[in-house]
Amino acid sequence: MSDILFLFQQTMFFFIPLLIVALGGLFSERSGIINIALEGMMIIGAFAGIFFIHFFQQSMDPQICLLVALLIAGLSGTLFALFHAIASINMKADQTISGTALNMFAPAFCIFVARLVQQTQQVEFSNTFRITKVPVLGDIPFIGEFLFQNTYITNFLGILILVLSWLILYKTRFGLRLRSCGELPQAADSAGINVYKIRYAGTLISGFLAGMGGLIFIVPTSTNFNADVAGYGFLALAVLIFGQWKPWHIAGAAFFFGFMKTIASAGLPFLASLSIPNYFYKITPYVATLIVLAFTSKNSAAPRAEGEPFDKGKR
Amino acid sequence: MKKMFASLLALSMVLVGCGGDGGDSASSSKPEIVMLTDKGTIDDKSFNQGTYEGVKAYAEKNGIDCTYIKPVDATTDEYNNSIDQAVKSGAKVVVCPGYLFEESIYIKQTEYPDVKFILIDGNPHDASYEDYKTEKNTIGITFQEEQSGYLAGYAAVKDGNTSLGFMGGQAVPAVMNFGYGYVQGANDAAKELGITVKMKYHYTGGFSATPEIQTKASSWYKDGVTIVFGCGGSVGNSVMAAAEASNPAGKVIGVDVDQSSESDTVVTSAYKRLGDAVQKALESIYSGDFDKTDDTSIQFRGGQNIVLGAKDGDVGLPLETSKFDKFTEADYNAIYDKIVDGSVTIKNNKDAESPNDLNCSNVDLTIEN
Repeated sequence: MSDILFLFQQTMFFFIPLLIVALGGLFSERSGIINIALEGMMIIGAFAGIFFIHFFQQSMDPQICLLVALLIAGLSGTLFALFHAIASINMKADQTISGTALNMFAPAFCIFVARLVQQTQQVEFSNTFRITKVPVLGDIPFIGEFLFQNTYITNFLGILILVLSWLILYKTRFGLRLRSCGELPQAADSAGINVYKIRYAGTLISGFLAGMGGLIFIVPTSTNFNADVAGYGFLALAVLIFGQWKPWHIAGAAFFFGFMKTIASAGLPFLASLSIPNYFYKITPYVATLIVLAFTSKNSAAPRAEGEPFDKGKR
Repeated sequence: MKKMFASLLALSMVLVGCGGDGGDSASSSKPEIVMLTDKGTIDDKSFNQGTYEGVKAYAEKNGIDCTYIKPVDATTDEYNNSIDQAVKSGAKVVVCPGYLFEESIYIKQTEYPDVKFILIDGNPHDASYEDYKTEKNTIGITFQEEQSGYLAGYAAVKDGNTSLGFMGGQAVPAVMNFGYGYVQGANDAAKELGITVKMKYHYTGGFSATPEIQTKASSWYKDGVTIVFGCGGSVGNSVMAAAEASNPAGKVIGVDVDQSSESDTVVTSAYKRLGDAVQKALESIYSGDFDKTDDTSIQFRGGQNIVLGAKDGDVGLPLETSKFDKFTEADYNAIYDKIVDGSVTIKNNKDAESPNDLNCSNVDLTIEN
């Protein structure tokens, strides 16, 4: 029992950031803008957030500090995404190139600023954000132990973002417009929708979520931030594709990736006797992504106008 | 116009970059001592930083200009380019920390006979590992990391830990030496106490902090491991994060330099005095001793590959910042003396293929991949 509890809680450290960042990618790609700059946005978000924590955590309540830091991470991610938006929407640049440029720029920028401010590139923080037990809810048998003990506020935030993303994309007028801009922007345009505005919104939301995801990724993982999120932005892209650009599928994919990563590192207690090599668990998510891609390539759910700069005159 | 703007931009980057390293030694006149960084950065709180602090301390004391270059890429070609660049800009001494420089120095030591090379953690050799050659203008310095690791393992077991972990970075010689020493130290302490201790042993394959490492370390702490040796750059930071989140909190052993300031969970660190060794080498170069290559009474002289260890006081544990319960300074000095006088011999990565071959019967070793 305690083994399952442990695996579940460790899975959250992979699941929640992957989920949030992949949902970020979802907003951008459903509006028609490829976003491979998720990694860079995570780095910028984590950097700004950790910097805030570094300076203010002594003088604030930890949970409030984390929430403010998340907001700052999100906003700096948004600001960073603005470059991507300007390049790919206004300038009609190749979106992969612009994303790659941002990915290269982000770590260099973080190192440069960190050195300028404090002489070293690692930004230190101490993790005081873990909630040992939520009052009342933590006492519920079973559920309390799983969901409301040894947890982070970000776990609930992640689920909230998932529900909100689904509501926004499928239950609001804005969501419909966003999706239409990713499928056939010319049609959306003829219906009087401002494609540029919608695409801006998609890209900026994407930056906000990716920035937050970066901070959520770093907090339980290390004791300092070293301009690195270990390639999880790219992993989130794989989650997005594996989840076929649909929020609930993405949640499933993120959980699958996270769980596989967890058992590859921690091992499965009841499967230990089978002595399956760790590598098996490590490659499973990637092999699964390849299989899904191979089988869905004919009727892939990828937004049709993804990656194409909007051209009013094209039909 | 565009060109002028670009070059102005480049110039300002260079100037700001020099200001950023905290020293005012760079840029103004020609630096005589140049250090190259290997894969890490100049402020990695570990290997490169430790070396550069030694370079800087010596240079400042003697009014010599020093600087560092970060090669564009961690390849022999790029290292060669960086050495060329350093020498062309007037370097008389080139300091290279890391075994990755072995080939470059093998090539460049003959090309620049008037330049002195200090290679740390390696001995110059050719690409095929067939010819080892250290010219008169070069010194190769390696450390007996296994002694440092041994002290850490010995102290950990003597302090009451019976279930230990080793989380190494990439399986490079230095990391392996630390690990092998750690196993043997734990074994000897367990033998003295008449017990058997458990140890989990793993190489992460990299030097960055990841949730994978945090998860693995957490699972170890959950399975009853009380102390983990985090051996390899940022790997240790993920181990510390796991130790802080565990209930009860786990303990961590740091590496290379005293890491006690990074987390309260760090009880001690297995260090090697990189800075001291570099300073001694530089002193020898500037006093002229370095060129007396036949005088065997001089330790730091050209053409030699020297090994530093407990006998020189260059490896050990920082007792003043260590948080032990039972392990005392007297215990530490006793075992340290035994290493120095040779009554304890410790195998390193050249003596054994894997930690399983170390014949440590009092350590129940589980190697995880």
